[in-house]
Amino acid sequence: MSRAIFSGQRIPRELLVLPTEEYYRRRYRSSNRGRWLLFLVTALAVFVAAMGARAQQLPAVAGQGETVTLNDVKAGDLLFRIGLRGQYVPSVHLASHAKVSVRGLVAEVRLEQEFINRTQQWQEAVYVLPLPEQAAVNGLEIQVGKRRIVGKVRERQEAAKIYRAARAAGKRAALLEQQRPNLFTNKVANIAPGETVRVHIRYLQPVNYDSGAFSLRLPTTLTPRYIPGDIIGAGVAGEGEAPLALNSEGWALPTDQVPDADKITPFMQPAAELDGLGSHRISIDVALDGGLPLANISSPYHDIDSSKTPSGGYAIALRGGSALMDRDFVLRWRPRASAMPRAALFTETKPAVAADANGDSVGQQDTYLQLLLLPPDAVGKVRRLPREVVYVIDTSGSMGGNSIRQAKESLLLALSRLQPGDRFNVIEFNSVTRAFFPRPVVADAQSIQHARTQVENLQASGGTEMAPALRLAFSQQLPGDESLVRQVIFITDGAVGNERALFELIHQSLADARLFTVGIGSAPNSHFMRKAAQFGRGTFVTIGDLSEVQERMQALFAKLENPLVTDLQLRWPQGLVVDAYPKRIPDLYRGEPLQLVAQIEGGQLHGKVELHGRLAGQQFQRELTLQSSSGDSGQGVGSVWARSKIDALRDRQLTTGENTEEGQSLRGQILQLALDHQLASPYTSFVAVEEKVVRPQGQGLSKSPVPNAVARGQILQRQTYPRTAAGIYAQLLSAAGLLGLGLLLRGRSALQRGRDTLRRGGGLRGRLSHRLREWLRRLLPDLRRARHPLETGLVRAR
Amino acid sequence: MWRAIISSLLLAAGLWQLGGATWLMAKAELAQYLIGRAWDDQLQTGEAAKPWPWADTRPVAKLVVNGSDPLMVLDGGSGQALAFGPGLLASSGRPGESRTTVIAAHRDTHFDNLGALKLGDPVALQDSDGRWYDYRVVGTRVVNSEQEQLPIYAEPGLLLVTCYPFHAVNPGGPLRYLVYAEYLGEGQVVQL
Repeated sequence: MSRAIFSGQRIPRELLVLPTEEYYRRRYRSSNRGRWLLFLVTALAVFVAAMGARAQQLPAVAGQGETVTLNDVKAGDLLFRIGLRGQYVPSVHLASHAKVSVRGLVAEVRLEQEFINRTQQWQEAVYVLPLPEQAAVNGLEIQVGKRRIVGKVRERQEAAKIYRAARAAGKRAALLEQQRPNLFTNKVANIAPGETVRVHIRYLQPVNYDSGAFSLRLPTTLTPRYIPGDIIGAGVAGEGEAPLALNSEGWALPTDQVPDADKITPFMQPAAELDGLGSHRISIDVALDGGLPLANISSPYHDIDSSKTPSGGYAIALRGGSALMDRDFVLRWRPRASAMPRAALFTETKPAVAADANGDSVGQQDTYLQLLLLPPDAVGKVRRLPREVVYVIDTSGSMGGNSIRQAKESLLLALSRLQPGDRFNVIEFNSVTRAFFPRPVVADAQSIQHARTQVENLQASGGTEMAPALRLAFSQQLPGDESLVRQVIFITDGAVGNERALFELIHQSLADARLFTVGIGSAPNSHFMRKAAQFGRGTFVTIGDLSEVQERMQALFAKLENPLVTDLQLRWPQGLVVDAYPKRIPDLYRGEPLQLVAQIEGGQLHGKVELHGRLAGQQFQRELTLQSSSGDSGQGVGSVWARSKIDALRDRQLTTGENTEEGQSLRGQILQLALDHQLASPYTSFVAVEEKVVRPQGQGLSKSPVPNAVARGQILQRQTYPRTAAGIYAQLLSAAGLLGLGLLLRGRSALQRGRDTLRRGGGLRGRLSHRLREWLRRLLPDLRRARHPLETGLVRAR
Repeated sequence: MWRAIISSLLLAAGLWQLGGATWLMAKAELAQYLIGRAWDDQLQTGEAAKPWPWADTRPVAKLVVNGSDPLMVLDGGSGQALAFGPGLLASSGRPGESRTTVIAAHRDTHFDNLGALKLGDPVALQDSDGRWYDYRVVGTRVVNSEQEQLPIYAEPGLLLVTCYPFHAVNPGGPLRYLVYAEYLGEGQVVQL
């Protein structure tokens, strides 16, 4: 055995199958290629793994930065809010409690708002507070622990000055300013670290009564307003579109059309984020003391529990105690059919305001009354008049999410109500206005189908340029065509900042059309809805949920298609000095009662008030005996009257202009009225200041906006970042992967073929020509080799 | 047989991807060169010059980041514009205006070395009148574009935006890298 090892020459060399030189070359090469492939694949794997790791790792590094709150921001600072996953954590948390008591036709709301400082610094909280559009705010108090500080009404600039001085001095203070009739700013200064400051706001609002149901709306958040116009001071040459810009605090910049844009555009934060932080919850308790037996009580957007109280009223509370502040709270209640009121009168007697300009009413008493009178209903068959309806639908970005679906659904329903003989058109607007037809068309099946298809395709995006859309809608009528009833139905969320300019536009270009507004969304701008319909001599409905569309639109159709009560006149008894609002009684649509508030000089009520009017061509008359109501059921009527008068004076200011002599005299009247009745108004604010200085001199004060929750079903609109990756890396990576894989496959087959070639023993050129031949053979069918019937067929077919 | 077909397909697809990436890069480079020429013409003649006859975008500024090769900034932040060069967002301010100027570019072409910028690095911007505006880097941040809006303020300043992480494979991520540069004042007009 051992011998065999050492005698290598035992087997003749020619009998041995030894690798040739070619074999070594070949083997070396192929293994070399294998190594390359291995290297490529490994490199690829490492690359991919590294990318993945990096993509995961780096954001984590970025997230380590401390939470930046908005309060640290000074002019020019960047507003980056990096908390967990880049989310902004408000430094002041908010909790609300609303106690509503309904007496007669007035609801008194006590709104308690807790501002909780969650930081280690002294804070000033700034909160944009949405309130009902007819709210008469008549009280503000701050409460720290057990102590309460009562606020006072002051002229707006003076109040702001008092507040600023108190803030600088380190005293606790609160300021409540009206920015819009339904939008206030609430500032609370010097909240100590970890402290809770409660702000109590008291307001009165008239209860709505329509088609046999009472309703009450309590907004909790707002839809971000679109701010049209050019930014003041930025020197932007009018480019037409005004993108949302932010100042250092993140509020929109004032523009020439909305000079107070920064006061009505708070930070919005997704409700889920706020909920996660335990902030922005509201509890609502309602005490109904209407004195009527009720058939039902319902709330369309909240779950409620209601129970009867021993005194014959009803107590209503949110089920589960509290709800997120991301949608309006609406309560509706309907009296039993047998107890349906036809008329109601509530009075309040108050000492007349001392030291009047003439000084003649000192020591006297004034009586305020609130009156509700239901006109007769049209009986029998009503002739339906042909109509010309222009539907205007808002497709701006704020309508995104559920709102646009509700709007489309409403519009489709409205289109289905059209009858032969009617004419219609549809106008869509966002940043631009587009009419479906150049002029209103006859409502035949074809044009309705055409409109339906277009409505289905509407998308929400862009700005809310309402003025051109309204102008177009009012200019649709062909001249010399007075046979049709002209109606404009405006479907929108009213999320604009230039409301007053729009009211003026409606007032001027209405002609003989009537404007009806359909308010869409969880937090529509009710102020816009109500006033636009008032100036448009129409009426309004609100839709907050897709399931409501049918019911609410039916209510609107009932008003659109039935004759209205016109030429209404109220005759007061002789000898009474009456100041009643609204001054001119509007036409009433079906189901609407006459509602007015009046001030009567002197304490005694006597006689009867007579209402004359015309319905479907027939005169009618109603009477009501004037007498003081018993108990406290008329409490708050005085404030409601003053608020209505301010509203009327503001409307007059719209036509005179605010800075004219007349406008200034109206301003004086409003100011006096608000001061007399202790109300917040455009010219008066509530301010409360604690005497004690609480903040030590050395400690700074941070300003922190309290965000508002994004309304339910809406999408938070933010100025978006562009896409800033071309995807070259992804392409390169997939190229590398594909090429590598392809080469790998190819390589293995080449290896096999290489072995074949080797066996046959050809040179490089032979191998190449062989490979080419093989490739061509694979590519081109060979008739001789087409054994398969299918292949034969294919070849013959050629 | 099948293996050969699949490998051919794979190779073809790989080449296609490679070609696509090369094309993007070539486009970005070539466009910059052409736009740069048009910009110089524009400065000399004072008339708007199109970089190539069918161009649907126009240069609005010239950007020099930390002394590197100048980049031609185009109007708007659309995908088409960004393929050719950094884009000046329509909602932001022009250079020198009292409104933040926002310039965005792809992280893998023009702004591929934005991450190397340090605090205090100079950034300069030239407007179409030839006037230079000087800026200095004062901060860099990473933000989540799905949760925040662009911080545009009513004061002059420059914000450079690109995607983040810089070398991530997925191009559609939500993170953005921001470089904020404060305005130092107007430079002198370049004499031509």
